[in-house]
Amino acid sequence: MSYAEKMADIAAMLAADGYRLAVEENGHRVALTVSPGPDACEDCLVPKDVFRGIAAHHLGVDGGLIDVTYPVDLPGYAGGSH
Amino acid sequence: MPNAILDPTGTVTSSSAARPAAPRAPRLASLRGKRVGLLINTKQNARPFLEEVGRLLAEKYGVTLSERVKVNFAVPEPENVIKELAAENDVVITGVGDCGSCSAAAAADGVVLEAAGVPVAAIITDSFIPTADAMAALRGAPGYQYATTAHPVAVLTPDKVRERAAQVLDDVVALLVDGGNTGKAEA
Repeated sequence: MSYAEKMADIAAMLAADGYRLAVEENGHRVALTVSPGPDACEDCLVPKDVFRGIAAHHLGVDGGLIDVTYPVDLPGYAGGSH
Repeated sequence: MPNAILDPTGTVTSSSAARPAAPRAPRLASLRGKRVGLLINTKQNARPFLEEVGRLLAEKYGVTLSERVKVNFAVPEPENVIKELAAENDVVITGVGDCGSCSAAAAADGVVLEAAGVPVAAIITDSFIPTADAMAALRGAPGYQYATTAHPVAVLTPDKVRERAAQVLDDVVALLVDGGNTGKAEA
């Protein structure tokens, strides 16, 4: 099962708050990028370290090997709706 | 060999190095005549949902209700609010965890209130079980128990909100009383 498949439930959870999840394997590391859709709830994301923990559990890898990018980290991000 | 456990920040540690589990409040023998605090998180439909749960509990068990509104649904309540809730109520019902951050905050509030000696029933929508579980583990309560209802709650009509509240009632009671006794015999 690919990392993207393992994160499918989490992607669905994020989609419920209006976010998309991109999963990229970079050698032994995993990059997870959470980006907002047009109706994303800005205050609805969990803290990044909590998200990393959830991802680590689902992927079966140490959280230190997961690079998380949140909307606030994305270039040009100006906030979302509530 | 100690079992590996999940650290919500993503680091695997041994149980021998883990922090002590957060204490869980003793359950009540019955809800009959108890003070029930509704901690409303301001998400859409959270108020009517919790008020209907409260109304049903008052009808069935004669509980006394009080309400408090979270200042910010996305973050756990401050210590002074937790102390007041613990002093003013025999049990607390909180929710609705209908988004990522608010489900995490509901679980966090529940864990802290339990440690303060108050049984809590947090209500989380099923889409956000992973966040509630992760936050509970982060607060030292892996396996923390809460009630669930289907996501979403925010878009439900008033009739559907009442229906959902009735459906979750037994689970709420089971979280608050000893041995999961729903008290049906008292009804």
